[in-house]
Amino acid sequence: RESFQPEPGEWKRFIYNPTSGEFLGRTAKSWGLILLFYLVFYGFLAALFTFTMWVMLQTLNDEVPKYRDQIPSPGLMVFPKPLSALEYTFSASDPSSYRGYIEDLRKFLKPYTLEEQKNLTVCPDGILSEQKGPVYVACQFPIFLLQACSGMSDPDFGYSQGSPCVLVKMNRIIGLKPEGTPRIECIPKDENVASISTYPNNGIIDLKYFPYYGKKLHVGYLQPLVAAQVIFSANSTKKEVTVECKIDGSPNLKNQDDRDKFLGRVAFKIIARA
Amino acid sequence: MRQRKLEIYSVEHHAATDIKKKEGRDGKKDNDLELKRNQQKEELKKELDLDDHKLSNKELETKYGTDIIRGLSSTRAAELLAQNGPNALTPPKQTPEIIKFLKQMVGGFSILLWVGAVLCWIAFGIQYVSNPSASLDSVYLGTVLAVVVILTGIFAYYQEAKSTNIMASFCKMIPQQAVVIRDSEKKVIPAEQLVVGDIVEIKGGDQIPADIRLLSAQGCKVDNSSLTGESEPQSRSSEFTHENPLETKNITFYSTTCLEGTATGMVINTGDRTIIGRIASLASGVGNEKTPIAIEIEHFVHIVAGVAVSVGILFFIIAVCMKYHVLDAIIFLIAIIVANVPEGLLATVTVALSLTAKRMAKKNCLVKNLEAVETLGSTSIICSDKTGTLTQNRMTVAHLWFDNQIFVADTSEDNLNQGFDQSSGTWTSLSKIIALCNRAEFKPGEESVPIMKRVVVGDASETALLKFSEVILGDVMEIRKRNHKVVEIPFNSTNKFQLSIHQTEDPNDKRFLLVMKGAPERILEKCSTIMINGKEQPLDKSMAQAFHTAYMELGGLGERVLGFCHFYLPADEFPETYSFDSESMNFPTSNLCFVGLLSMIDPPRSTVPDAVTKCRSAGIKVIMVTGDHPITAKAIAKSVGIISANSETVEDIAKRCNIAVEQVNKRDAKAAVVTGMELKDMSPEQLDELLANYPEIVFARTSPQQKLIIVEGCQRQDAVVAVTGDGVNDSPALKKADIGGAMGITGSDAAKNAADMILLDDNFSSIVTGVEEGRLIFDNLKKTIAYTLTKNIAELCPFLIYIILGLPLPIGTITLLFIDLGTDIIPSIALAYEKAESDIMNRKPRHKKKDRLVNQQLAVYSYLHIGLMQALGAFLVYFTVYAQQGFRPTSLFHLRIAWDSDHLNDLEDNYGQEWTSYQRQYLEWTGYTAFFVGIMVQQIADLIIRKTRKNSIFKQGLFRNKVIWVGIASQIIVALLLSYGLGSITALNFTMLKAQYWFVAVPHAILIWVYDEMRKLFIRLYPGSWWDKNMYY
Repeated sequence: RESFQPEPGEWKRFIYNPTSGEFLGRTAKSWGLILLFYLVFYGFLAALFTFTMWVMLQTLNDEVPKYRDQIPSPGLMVFPKPLSALEYTFSASDPSSYRGYIEDLRKFLKPYTLEEQKNLTVCPDGILSEQKGPVYVACQFPIFLLQACSGMSDPDFGYSQGSPCVLVKMNRIIGLKPEGTPRIECIPKDENVASISTYPNNGIIDLKYFPYYGKKLHVGYLQPLVAAQVIFSANSTKKEVTVECKIDGSPNLKNQDDRDKFLGRVAFKIIARA
Repeated sequence: MRQRKLEIYSVEHHAATDIKKKEGRDGKKDNDLELKRNQQKEELKKELDLDDHKLSNKELETKYGTDIIRGLSSTRAAELLAQNGPNALTPPKQTPEIIKFLKQMVGGFSILLWVGAVLCWIAFGIQYVSNPSASLDSVYLGTVLAVVVILTGIFAYYQEAKSTNIMASFCKMIPQQAVVIRDSEKKVIPAEQLVVGDIVEIKGGDQIPADIRLLSAQGCKVDNSSLTGESEPQSRSSEFTHENPLETKNITFYSTTCLEGTATGMVINTGDRTIIGRIASLASGVGNEKTPIAIEIEHFVHIVAGVAVSVGILFFIIAVCMKYHVLDAIIFLIAIIVANVPEGLLATVTVALSLTAKRMAKKNCLVKNLEAVETLGSTSIICSDKTGTLTQNRMTVAHLWFDNQIFVADTSEDNLNQGFDQSSGTWTSLSKIIALCNRAEFKPGEESVPIMKRVVVGDASETALLKFSEVILGDVMEIRKRNHKVVEIPFNSTNKFQLSIHQTEDPNDKRFLLVMKGAPERILEKCSTIMINGKEQPLDKSMAQAFHTAYMELGGLGERVLGFCHFYLPADEFPETYSFDSESMNFPTSNLCFVGLLSMIDPPRSTVPDAVTKCRSAGIKVIMVTGDHPITAKAIAKSVGIISANSETVEDIAKRCNIAVEQVNKRDAKAAVVTGMELKDMSPEQLDELLANYPEIVFARTSPQQKLIIVEGCQRQDAVVAVTGDGVNDSPALKKADIGGAMGITGSDAAKNAADMILLDDNFSSIVTGVEEGRLIFDNLKKTIAYTLTKNIAELCPFLIYIILGLPLPIGTITLLFIDLGTDIIPSIALAYEKAESDIMNRKPRHKKKDRLVNQQLAVYSYLHIGLMQALGAFLVYFTVYAQQGFRPTSLFHLRIAWDSDHLNDLEDNYGQEWTSYQRQYLEWTGYTAFFVGIMVQQIADLIIRKTRKNSIFKQGLFRNKVIWVGIASQIIVALLLSYGLGSITALNFTMLKAQYWFVAVPHAILIWVYDEMRKLFIRLYPGSWWDKNMYY
């Protein structure tokens, strides 16, 4: 078989050829020229790319993204966020097993304390608080609405009693105006194992928190929360339940999408060990 | 005689050594095979020891169990047919279809993609074991890769099969028929059904249907040129004349032709057991070299696969070092390989080649092997036959000498314009002799056919004379009828003349006219007077001298000269009732009146001189290899330009300077005429020197076997050699040549089998058009490959950036395949339709080892210049989509882990909005679509700039190649379909892209065009400069 592979000696000569002074097939001058060329050429390309990116950024608006068509309907998410999947494992008798959750919740609820909210507006219930600007006010979300899960009466958010609280929140979407009376409904998969209490009552999400005007304009905005407390039945030996929460009562908030398992709904699992 | 015999055996010798050489090179000693070959060789020898020619008819009858009068019985024939198989040559062993198919499945990049697919499945397997709900993405990808390989494999297989089929249909000509006596009846059966012992009848014009021992013959002549290379017709009879079966008169061989006469004979060998069958099967053992384009494509595949694998492995290591999961790193590796491999390219190349093959076939150049299309383009030496290829393959009257003057006759193909002076009385007499002293006749029923195309029964010279006089005098048959022939003596080699006596058409003239033609010196001997201006004059010394000068001059032109004379028999001695007798010759054959000379030649085809000039300007050396006489060969070579007008051979110089040949400085001679005898005594080194030193070479009186030696000599000069041939004995040379061209009309099946292409019209100029097409396709393949390679960078960068900078993935692996196998396919084929930029026949043939299809400049310019610009343009579209949806470019960096996390369903963008995992996924697909569209738009610019490598696009004409625009339209339509038509099929990862995003990359596309125009401008302005050297591919 014939092959055009160079001989080993040729390789050596290719790396450095003493007769012509060529290094890797080029002389020093040729290397210099080629490097200079690429320096200039790539410099030009970099400048050009930067310029076009700058032009593109000029088309953007600082306050509102140009398009919001990819998120027409909000997702639901829970808090605290477990490490893997949406599974909360804890043991009421072992505080270290739930310390992480409690700390997360505390941190998350910090902006919701009364002191933090004192500059916010008290808005009328049940109607959208549409604003024209230029200053946008945020509505108060008093933490006591979360009742047993507010952390005010029970600093352990029910974990020490074996009835843990999980916060359910709706993703922020700029300009979203829910219709009807949106509420979060949480149901356990097995009614015999546990029951769910939602706060505010009925898991109502008040319309006054909508629409959202964006991070930059809507300073201090607090998104409405719903707390779900899982109360295991006393007569059940099994302390493991899957809870499904979804938005209900609003025709324009979707909660049934085949592909997006978090669009207007969320499912999580609570495992309470002895 | 002896010598010819040696040559016959040498066929076998060459073929056998070639086989050995090949096996040695392969390094594999297949003992069984060699044993078989040896057996075959032995068998051949045995076959040549055939003794049927020595046997009497009786002995033959017993040997073959037949009856000379009644023939075989049908039942016996059927038995023999079943036993020995049909009387046909077994076509050369074909690779089994399944092997061909599997080869396509693993050739080129397929192995790389198979590895990718298997890695995908393995990755999924591992994922599945640890987590049964793992996503099926890698299974999809693996399956898609496998499907891609299988589909491209099927496509390549189909293409190959199609071109083989063209060939097959060509070879299946009208089945040959044979007249056979069976069951005491004459029957016409297909020649394939002949069996040993059959009694067959043959007549002039037939192809001999098998090896036949003649039992009786009347004036039978055969053309053995395809077997022995002798172009002279050989007479055949039933007598045993020679020990050697190839020399004896009573055997005719399969596939030779019977020129005239009739014969009856017994079939002694059929099919592969015939002499021709033996030679053909041995010739097929000569190794086929890899075609130049196959080497180029292999080279290219190595480069691309090397880049793909090394970049892939480099980033695999980087990914592992960056603490990526090994499985993810494997997926990256696959993605990088997929991005780097131009999946559609090999199919495109096949299509481009077959388009060219089709175009060539239209121009009478049928290429059997697709890859040979390009080989023709890189040809640097053409070894051409003379007869039929360079010449018209028919004798034609070229010159006349009468009234002490030479006249030139028209020898062009239609030959109707005989403009020489016909007013002289001598011409009237000469034309009468030409018309009357001629036994050739037109085949009846062809009166409407142009004279030159009519079929004539008779030998070549007589045919030429008949047609010549028919053109000038009109209906020759009618003239002959008016001048009734009373007696004739046909030409024979002892007399060297032909004579006939006619009554004249003038009713008042009761004299008989004796007309005679023959070898000029013999005719002159018989004459005492000569006709000048219609008057008889005594033939004096000065007239005889003039005759000799003319004779030498015409002979020196390589023409066959005939002399003509006549004599009016005195009416008193030869009254009307006189009974002439051809045996006793009771009439005068001396003291005749000499009328004139006429010379004939097989004239060059009118298109050949142009074609030879074209070859010369294209840097292709044309070597004539012929069995003809050196003088004729040289004359033809001069008239077609193979030896140019002002070049001289050593002999010419010697003659001009009046010195001995040995004294001439060999460097002064540009041309050389070498005979087979001289060639025989040359060492390979001497031959090399001859081939290297003389630009114009003619080999004369060579045997077909010497062609092989010449071809090998040329190949030692690193030349790409094209060879033309028609005989069976040419097949080893045809095989050995880089590209063998068999004659479509006169070529034997064995030659056609061995050849890579077939010249349908047997015309040399068809090769030259082929060369032009071959060169064009090489240029255009360069463009196609450059076009295809460019986007690889734009496809590769997303993965590198994804791994290193953690951006959300800009484009998916499956999406890439839609570029490679979707939008880019038709445009890259369209480049095959591009016209040449400049006169490609004005440059030297490409150097096999230096001028590569894919060179460094092409790779660098495609990858690092245009490719990079494309990548930037595509990233611009990608960033635009994300930014306008809420993710500004800066926030995207190192976002990958959060972005790809399925559990994170409230990822915040720059505006405080929160995205679920699926919403991000959908945005990512929009990003894929955007990136895809970005590449597509810039590939349109890339396609336009690739139309030329040096000239401005505006000079080439933006709209001249309409197929380019079909390609552009296809790109846009496919992209629109994918985005809007299939946007909802999530498996394909396409979404409906907003209309304005289609235009984001347009400025970059324009920039690509402007930049390339600049590159071409500087190349044109500063040829040979640093820029030219680094930027011209």
